[in-house]
Amino acid sequence: MRVLFLHLPRFPIQRRVAEMPSLAGKPIALSQETRGHRQVAFASTSALTAGVRPGMTIAAATALVPSLREFSFQLDAERKALVSLGEGLLGIAPAFQLAAPDGLWLDASAAPLCQGEEGLCRRALEIADSFGYRGKAVVASQLFTARALAREGAVRSQVIGTSESAKALSVLPLACLDSSPAAVEAIKSLGLSTLGEVASLPTGAMVARMGLEGLRIHRLCRGEDDAPLVPAPITPVFEEQIDLDWPAESVEPLLFALKTTLDRLGARLCSRRKAVVKLAICFRLSSAREQKVELVLAQPSSRPPLLLDLARHRIADLTFAAPVGGIGIKVEECCEDRAHQQVLGDAPEGDAVLDVVLSKISSALGPQSLFAAELDPFHRPERAYHPKPFRPPPSDRGLLRGTAEQQRAGDPDPNQLERPSRFFERPALLQMELGAQGRVVAARLSGKRRKVLAMAGPERLCGEWWEENPYDREYYRVHFEGLGQVWIFRDQRDGKFYLQGFFD
Amino acid sequence: MEGAAQRLESLRKQIRKLQAAPRTYLAVLKTGVAAFDSWMPGGGLPMGQVVELSGEAASGRTSIALRGIAAATREKRLAAYVDGPGELYPPVAAGMGVDLERLLIVRPKAPRQLVWTAVQLARSGAFACIVLDLTHTGLQLSLVESKKLSDAAFQGGSCTLLLAASRSQASSARVRLEVTASDPQTLRLEALRSSQGRGRQILIPVAALLPGEAGWPLFSTHSERTEEPPEIKRIKLVWERDGGGIDRNRPGRDAALPSLRGTVGI
Repeated sequence: MRVLFLHLPRFPIQRRVAEMPSLAGKPIALSQETRGHRQVAFASTSALTAGVRPGMTIAAATALVPSLREFSFQLDAERKALVSLGEGLLGIAPAFQLAAPDGLWLDASAAPLCQGEEGLCRRALEIADSFGYRGKAVVASQLFTARALAREGAVRSQVIGTSESAKALSVLPLACLDSSPAAVEAIKSLGLSTLGEVASLPTGAMVARMGLEGLRIHRLCRGEDDAPLVPAPITPVFEEQIDLDWPAESVEPLLFALKTTLDRLGARLCSRRKAVVKLAICFRLSSAREQKVELVLAQPSSRPPLLLDLARHRIADLTFAAPVGGIGIKVEECCEDRAHQQVLGDAPEGDAVLDVVLSKISSALGPQSLFAAELDPFHRPERAYHPKPFRPPPSDRGLLRGTAEQQRAGDPDPNQLERPSRFFERPALLQMELGAQGRVVAARLSGKRRKVLAMAGPERLCGEWWEENPYDREYYRVHFEGLGQVWIFRDQRDGKFYLQGFFD
Repeated sequence: MEGAAQRLESLRKQIRKLQAAPRTYLAVLKTGVAAFDSWMPGGGLPMGQVVELSGEAASGRTSIALRGIAAATREKRLAAYVDGPGELYPPVAAGMGVDLERLLIVRPKAPRQLVWTAVQLARSGAFACIVLDLTHTGLQLSLVESKKLSDAAFQGGSCTLLLAASRSQASSARVRLEVTASDPQTLRLEALRSSQGRGRQILIPVAALLPGEAGWPLFSTHSERTEEPPEIKRIKLVWERDGGGIDRNRPGRDAALPSLRGTVGI
């Protein structure tokens, strides 16, 4: 089995810088508490150059570099960030295994899809770059070989052949071993300094001195690691969190944090061919309260720029009761992302504009507020159409222009029945004045008495007697003085007149 | 080799041509009502501008707007109807030639969202025709809102139609028309503001605007009817006498019949 190890040197520091670019090039340290003392766990390059070392107390490090910025190291957060990256890499590898806190293994069996293992390395590094991380990638046949060479190797990407593991490992120092410090010290005491020297020892000698651990180390050094790749479970929930180091009081830092988070989320969604339908953004306020915003997309999408644009629009209208300390984004509803095949001469920016405006209106007014209509074959006027999601037919641009024209005819129906352009779902009761012989003379409309000037009808509509609410109506088109033509009906069941619409 | 290079170059030229002209230019939306189109300054509803149509509830404004939408969808463009009162009846729109799949209907719950929605749609440039229907909403555009709508229409290049119950006090619409159903057979349009000045009027037959049977004439109930049926004219038949007597005038009846004896063999 071939595996790729993606090593991200000092990953927790890289993550901090990716989330807050203002920290780039500055001395920063991540600390963790050990025996009541805060000690440096990771330090940035500038801090290391100034003499700060992992294991040093924060007090000593600050004395050495007064401008040192300290943050707390949280393994869980690092692990989550690595899982996000791993899910983002699922587009090029079928599975991944975490190697917290600075890397992960990928199943390299899909390398032929990336033009070979070199191509796979290149693609993995590109995706990591898009997340804001720099790393090194090595493809090998064993987990240990790939990781050791990625951590200690000098080149950015490397492919080790199936039978070349021992040779490639031979030059590496003993520090590559993931054994206990006591075991490493025991090997050093023998005067050995590289993995190649350990591999050259007889197996029996290693077992005699160090038992099973010696056998394991010997096998690792000879490139005979048989540990399998254990795929990390893929979470069905798409969720991302980000903590702001300073509570944000303006929109800019929030937008930056949102961009970082949405980029990660978008990469995860893309790798699993999913698109967002509904997104919830939770702003954690410094007053321990939360403010939640929901985004409903008119057309499912996983593109981070679109999601950020929608979020920006919603934030612009928000008023926060307190500064924002953190942001959580959760995909509440998603669907399969059907790729859009573009044709020659296509203008995808036009479609993007439509997506943005539809999503903006949908999230502001609610998804039920915008729709397209579809006609139904019912005689009852109220049931003549029903709303459906607005999905305009694909634009017939480029080479396809003109072909769709023959398929779709938009000519008016010459046999259109007498129906008003303005229609009341709930007919309004009309006070009609009837003259001699039951002739309609006038009616009270819009607070005025309107004389009937002309009329046509009746058109009798009845039916649905088998349902709870049958209808039996006689419709008339009536021209009222000073108003125009209206559509009224006399309900045969109660004998009253109702206003159904205007021929506006 | 040279021939292949030339062929490649010609193919590239064709691709460039296809990519350079992805759309056809549209300056006005022709409603298809010849009298109205010829009366409008540009030959139809202008793109990139706001056209205000005011009038009574059943004066014909919506039909003009739907004709504009039908023109846009015929050109394979999208159209939107911001339906403030929620009264648009899509079957009639379809009857006027609107492609319902290309028509977005927006019904905001709060009246204050109407203008915002129309501005967003117009500004996007994704819709060729946008109708903002403020009838029965009690809403009247302020000058600022009107200006915002005009700017959005100009920016997006869309034809924005504003349907209002009455003339707005302050409007920045470049074209303002008042529609009146003057009598059962005709509509009267009056230009309150246009590039050709104000006060111009035109009469349009209702039958040209409304689709199908809705355009058929109504029967007048206004004329005074008499209880007695109208008098029927009687035609007096006069036979002209020519002196030939009854035999001449009524041949075959009173004249002597020929004998049948010869033919039957008696």
